[in-house]
Amino acid sequence: MSALVVAVLLPGLAGICLALARAVVSARGAAAAGAAVSVLSLICVVASWSARDGAYAGEVDHPWSTALGLHWHLGVDGISLPLVVMTILLCVLVCWSLAADVTSTTDDHEGAGVVLVALVLVIETASLGVFSALDLVLFFIFFELALIPMWFVIARWGDPGGGRLAATRFLMFTVTGSALMLVGFVVIAVTAGTLQIPTLADLPDPLTGTVPLLGGVAIAVGLAVKTPLWPLHIWLPDAHSKAPTVGSVLLAGVFLKLGTYGLLRVFVSVVPEPAARLAPYLGALAVAGIIASCLACLREHDLKRLIAYSSVGHMGFVVLAISTMSEVGVLAAVFASVAHGLITGLLFFNAGWLKQRYGSATFDALGRGLYTRVPRLAVVLLFAATASLGLPGLAGFWGEMLALRSTYEPSPALDRTLAWTLLTLAALGVVLTTAYFVRVVRRVLQGAATPRDDDIDLTRTEAGISAVLAVAIVLLGVAPGLLTGVIEPAVGAIVQVAP
Amino acid sequence: MIDWAAVTPALILASGAIAALLVTAFHATRTWRWPAIVSTVSLLAASAVAVATGSIDRLTLVLTLVVVLGTFMMVLAAGVMDHEESIPPGELHFLLLSSAAGGCCLVVARDLVTLVVALELLSLPSIALVGLRRSDLGAARAAWTFFLLSAVSTAVTVMGVSIVYGFAGNLAYDQVATALAGSTAPARAVGAAVLLTVVGLLFKAGAVPFHVWIPDTYRGASVPVAGYLSVVSKSAALGALLVVLTTAFGPVRDDWAPVVAVVAAVTMTVGNLGALGQRDAVGMLAWSSIAQAGFILAPLVGLPGTAAVAAAVSYLVVYSLANLVAFTTVAICRRRWGGTTFAHLAGLARRDPGAGLCLAFALLVLAGFPPAVIGLLTKYVVLLPPVDSGYGWLAVVMALNVAFGLVYYLRLLATVLAPPSEEVATPPPSPSPPYTVRFARAAMIAATAALVAASVYPDLLLGVL
Repeated sequence: MSALVVAVLLPGLAGICLALARAVVSARGAAAAGAAVSVLSLICVVASWSARDGAYAGEVDHPWSTALGLHWHLGVDGISLPLVVMTILLCVLVCWSLAADVTSTTDDHEGAGVVLVALVLVIETASLGVFSALDLVLFFIFFELALIPMWFVIARWGDPGGGRLAATRFLMFTVTGSALMLVGFVVIAVTAGTLQIPTLADLPDPLTGTVPLLGGVAIAVGLAVKTPLWPLHIWLPDAHSKAPTVGSVLLAGVFLKLGTYGLLRVFVSVVPEPAARLAPYLGALAVAGIIASCLACLREHDLKRLIAYSSVGHMGFVVLAISTMSEVGVLAAVFASVAHGLITGLLFFNAGWLKQRYGSATFDALGRGLYTRVPRLAVVLLFAATASLGLPGLAGFWGEMLALRSTYEPSPALDRTLAWTLLTLAALGVVLTTAYFVRVVRRVLQGAATPRDDDIDLTRTEAGISAVLAVAIVLLGVAPGLLTGVIEPAVGAIVQVAP
Repeated sequence: MIDWAAVTPALILASGAIAALLVTAFHATRTWRWPAIVSTVSLLAASAVAVATGSIDRLTLVLTLVVVLGTFMMVLAAGVMDHEESIPPGELHFLLLSSAAGGCCLVVARDLVTLVVALELLSLPSIALVGLRRSDLGAARAAWTFFLLSAVSTAVTVMGVSIVYGFAGNLAYDQVATALAGSTAPARAVGAAVLLTVVGLLFKAGAVPFHVWIPDTYRGASVPVAGYLSVVSKSAALGALLVVLTTAFGPVRDDWAPVVAVVAAVTMTVGNLGALGQRDAVGMLAWSSIAQAGFILAPLVGLPGTAAVAAAVSYLVVYSLANLVAFTTVAICRRRWGGTTFAHLAGLARRDPGAGLCLAFALLVLAGFPPAVIGLLTKYVVLLPPVDSGYGWLAVVMALNVAFGLVYYLRLLATVLAPPSEEVATPPPSPSPPYTVRFARAAMIAATAALVAASVYPDLLLGVL
């Protein structure tokens, strides 16, 4: 058995064991076990990556159902590896924060904290499975596996008011989208006669015509809900803001990447011709999302909702990069996805800590002058905000820069005039992003301090989590080659590389 | 000509039915044990014979096994009612086995008259089963509704059969097919005759617009009987429908396929809408079984060949297993906590982890969500034929209904996994489960284990057909 299979399945199996043994395990112990298992999983990924000898590291390909042509086919390449590592990193940090979180461990009924850790681990397995699946139906199985645990996380650990409604709305949107995606997969299976993604990506004559186009539309709509692409994003602000901190972090950091990764792996690479025909629409909607989300952020009075909307904007840059269908576009999409995962993860951790202290993350509840009240927390928030708005030297900059660069020189799929128009509007989005983060800084961090009893600065755990993410963000910001060097050799798996 | 391999299971069940009735007649006191033993033996014998002879073909064998083993599980589940004085055990087992004998005949019928007779043999005992509980007005009303609608639908079927006979001059499936293939009759008339013929089967299967009896009847009947109707009776009818449409009426597929597509789409949508408002597990499962019938009908629009039928049958098998588990757990819950509403089921996973987890898994299978991989794969399988034969709109409707159905399955799932509600946290009415509950639990666990095994090795099921 490949180390990669272990890496994917280990967290989920550990989660099931923890859930069954919740009577005898403490929440803290469970969280520690979760972090340990995730680290083991990371070691397995690294082991299979360093032992790679082919296009896909740790590739396993066993027939699973000969009747359906379904294979147990896993493997990671340069496109998926960064996302796999980021997912594991975020899950470790989430477990760390759960281990220290008193409110979730002293819940009203026994074992709830353990179950939360178990759900996080199942979500981790599902996400890792999506990032490494090389069979369409297997991809779909992992894609769906994450949903119900996430529903429970939001519905049971989210805000008492509206948490369940937000969870159900989130679930309905994504399930409807993924059901359409399944129809698209069926179309591909029927027309191409195989479910294996590498085979589909290398078809001698790619799928063209009306039927694959309709299949492509179905896949694109399904993934657009998940990403989310404007105007299918309306489930997102509520789900992200009502979710508990761990839920928000995983939703923004990992779940949205399932959508963008899907667009690369099962849309652009599998149905290149329909994708090229849909690219202008994707690009236009992406830019509409960038502008719309920035405008929403300028009027938003709740920090968590603001971060949620800003995610729509950042995902807009990713989709814009994908819609160029160029080498740089793929590079930008993966880079920006990873950067967004780290930065927004940090932002949501931060917002969660504030919400925990002040009971709510609205600007009114937070008050003013966090610089003087909780100086270190405020500095972390400032750092995350500047990273998010794309300050050069931090990870977010390269994602957006590469996305805009790819739009300047798109593949023939995107008309040059349209691309440059989109480029201009997206650049406007960068300015607006700066504007709303500056507004946050002025409204919450600066100003005359309004001291409160619960002004507690960063705890040790919070400082640790912040430090890990900050180091990662700075590292990718000053040495982007670390990441691009991994991604670039694999770009050919997604789009045709010019010789 | 009589194909003994095909009818032997039905004959065994019919003999078993009479034996079950007689043992209670000659037993001095009310006995639950002896008719149950007789039923068990005859059901196991019938399934052994079916496997040994291989029935007509593999498809029929699978359908026969669904009928026989489904009845077996419901006989085990019915044991949890052994404390109810108002239910006569001999009659219960007699009727269950008679009806199952009808089901066995129905799936092996290759002749339209046999089809009608088998359909009646399936229906009449099940009507009596619904009204079996003495001095229960609700049960009597449910049985009455069921009877009236059933009689009307059978009458329509007989009319359809007679018109088909007019076109084809024969009643055996293969000869009807030959005659229709060479027939010069107007397509619409043939299409109408076909549809009238299958009305009786659509009624038993609970397809819209012949579904209105289902919620009332299921709620009026005892839980195991409702389970029997939703699994055995429905599977037999759907199985017969698959066979008759693809063999006898295969040549005129273009005349009925669009209608079946519409019926399937409407059935799943209406079933899901109905299930949405339910706060009682039996009511919800009743509506959900209507919706599931739509998914089983959908692949029939596929191109001729075995793939479409195999898809429908594999979906049917998975649906049957999951529904058996769900109804058995609900029956156990009713025995131990006195009701089947969501309030009674709340926190089942904590009060009774075995039943709770089995029910949770069955619900995931019905919804088609991982970790119940087999539920998802059968949903994928039934999507293939419509897409392949150009019914893309049907595939989209199915996909939307999958998403839609998740709402109510998830609601029950969340209820089962939630903390127990206050009113049932009090000591249950039946604190020490009797040994019959253990049999029901064994059946429930066995069926769940089969679903889990099929999720790990899908070819166990999908490779067979």
